[in-house]
Amino acid sequence: MIIDVHAHWGPWFFSMDVGSLAVNSELLDRFGIDIQLVSAIEAIVYDAPAGNRSLASQLPADPRLRGMIVVDPRRPEEARADLTELAGDTRWVGAKIHTDYSRTPIDSPAMRAAIELTSEFGLPTLVHTWGDNLLDLADVAAAVPDARVIAGHMGAAGWPLVPEAASRSDRIWFEPCWSAPEAGRIRWILDRIGPSRLMFGTDATLIDPSIALATFDAANLTPTEHEAIMWQNATSLFNL
Amino acid sequence: MNDVPLLLDCDVLVGHDVTTGRWSHPSAVRDVMKATGVSGGLVSSLRAVHFDVPSGNDEADAVASDNGWSWCPVLDLRDPLGAERELERLAGRSGVIRLAPEKQGVEPGFPAFEHVVRLLVEAGLTIFVEGDVRKVSAPFRGLGARVVFLDTHFYHLGDYVVLARAEPGFLTSTRMLTGPDSLEIVAAEVGAERLVLGCRTPFHETNAVVRRLLTSKLTPDEIAQVGSRNLLELA
Repeated sequence: MIIDVHAHWGPWFFSMDVGSLAVNSELLDRFGIDIQLVSAIEAIVYDAPAGNRSLASQLPADPRLRGMIVVDPRRPEEARADLTELAGDTRWVGAKIHTDYSRTPIDSPAMRAAIELTSEFGLPTLVHTWGDNLLDLADVAAAVPDARVIAGHMGAAGWPLVPEAASRSDRIWFEPCWSAPEAGRIRWILDRIGPSRLMFGTDATLIDPSIALATFDAANLTPTEHEAIMWQNATSLFNL
Repeated sequence: MNDVPLLLDCDVLVGHDVTTGRWSHPSAVRDVMKATGVSGGLVSSLRAVHFDVPSGNDEADAVASDNGWSWCPVLDLRDPLGAERELERLAGRSGVIRLAPEKQGVEPGFPAFEHVVRLLVEAGLTIFVEGDVRKVSAPFRGLGARVVFLDTHFYHLGDYVVLARAEPGFLTSTRMLTGPDSLEIVAAEVGAERLVLGCRTPFHETNAVVRRLLTSKLTPDEIAQVGSRNLLELA
């Protein structure tokens, strides 16, 4: 069983052709991924409410897909409306907040309010982290009651901060997909915090799933680590 | 594909990565290569990149000789006069050169960068260059240069393709062409002969770069071409 907790649907503005949902399905088939949590690119980079509704129309096309409701911290009232409308549907299992595209730093009041909002709806929230703001997310998780957050990209080059972030809150998990993965991250982190806080994610269809799969393979996971990271932790957190 | 072809990494480093504090020792490179099915490649010295070119290049030469790899000497773009002397010292010993302008704080418009590039092109050397392809490509354009861009990210794949259409000697490393169709787009647009397996062993996750190539939608022959044949022709 493999559950991908960090994926997307829709076209990008880069020179690539990955906009069709068929690309998601083909990659799931080819790499043996059983469940994929997706957010709409339109919602992340342009218009969160419109993108969420675009994805709602696509989700029924592949039963392996689950939705992540994108929240733009600058549009809290519309975010509340989206959560009210969509979170009751079992196909939507979490929320997604992108810090850069929403131009909202993790240590800002708006970001804290957004995570308070998704927590109010009981949704685990995948937050884009890059560099030092991994620690900011851990601090928000510690400060917001009932928050459960996943650090998307695990801070990228900020990955050595993971043990410190994990020590600041027991309600932050880490997902390490990255287009330029540095060697040895996964084993280094496992040896310090164990497998209970790591989750498998690909960033598909932006990044090919082979990158994340090979990164975890290089860490020589034990059977226990493999089960926890590839699906058990996600099943528990997202109630899949 | 079932049969893994010969794999050679055009981007191997030994020494101290001063930005992260990590070290690459030849034993670590050997371990990664063994685990990932890479048979060898072009090794350069970070001592040459960051500190002292002649002794660093001699280090790379020795490491390559000890391990059955090839070496890729480095020049320091902060010191064009030293680069002239190093090229004289290296004459006939290697057909390839590595440049690291961003690590050395040298921008494409700097006189030293343009001067060294002209020397390398006149000498008929194949150049491996680090840095953002949109920027570091500028000094090489219009010279008939043979260049492998080591840090082409798939976000900038369109920039690379546009450049490569006009420059038959412009190739790219596969390391950060990690989108689901990145390798395939380059092959379709300018040909698989423009792709060279590059992993930056042992600092980058070599297994990911190799897996991306082996599970790509390139033909088996194209995978073999990218995996080693293109590098063998260059070096």
